Amino acid sequence: MPRVVRSTIIDAPVERLWAVLRDFNGHESWHPIVAKSTIERGYPSDKIGCVRRFTMQDGAELREQLLALSDLDMTFSYCLLETPIPLFNYVAHVRLLPVTDGNRSFWQWEGRFTTPAGRETELADLVANDVYSNGIAAVRQLPELAG
Amino acid sequence: MARVYVSSVINAPAAKVWARVRDFNGLPNWHPGIAESRIENGEPADKVGCVRAFALRNGDRLREKLLGLSDFDMLCTYSILDSPMPLTNYVASLRLTPVTDQDHTFIEWSADFDCAPELEAELVSGVGGNVFQTGFDALNRAFGA
Repeated sequence: MPRVVRSTIIDAPVERLWAVLRDFNGHESWHPIVAKSTIERGYPSDKIGCVRRFTMQDGAELREQLLALSDLDMTFSYCLLETPIPLFNYVAHVRLLPVTDGNRSFWQWEGRFTTPAGRETELADLVANDVYSNGIAAVRQLPELAG
Repeated sequence: MARVYVSSVINAPAAKVWARVRDFNGLPNWHPGIAESRIENGEPADKVGCVRAFALRNGDRLREKLLGLSDFDMLCTYSILDSPMPLTNYVASLRLTPVTDQDHTFIEWSADFDCAPELEAELVSGVGGNVFQTGFDALNRAFGA
């Protein structure tokens, strides 16, 4: 089962970074591959079990379900329900921790999944680079996290 | 119960930093506040349950017990058995996590303990500053930050 981890240091207080990332419906405002995001059935985006529906920049649709969210630990977990890409049993975890030395933030984004045989490396690279690294790079540029 | 949490980033790969800090008998090799250390009863330093007896540069002596050590999680947990500090039930953890985009190390050192309420602020800043942050600063110097 492939496991992908990407982590970084963001030069902003962890509470400010968490305010951006905890919104399960917030990807459309920062992730470059997501064109539109809605939460199904009008649920609040911090209701455990809610489902977000993404329309990607290429028009594909994708649904993900919020499995856990903790403001105390600054963590959340979610899984893929439907995707045009053959990622199966996909569960991801996001975790923030304060860097007290400098009032910065540590951000880890981790996913586990299965794939059709022989496509493990290709799809792991896609998740790691297109989804996680590109997302991290976009958040780093947000004006609310600058200065 | 008082809690101390201090974290930093070391500009070196986590495996290298872990190789330095995982030795429960190795504090004098990297922490400037520690003068000497030995493991009691001749036990290996990575035997969970072993006790390190060490002396600070100011002459204070402490005994600490290894409660957990994981090379997989890069995590070390220990408790204080004897110390001159007015605290009890002290349990601390040192944990490393890779920062993948720079190949650096996120390092966390935390402790929980009980003490008299009027001593809490001083003990928290003493442990967090003199012990934990001083250790981070030394690691950053050692790894050329």
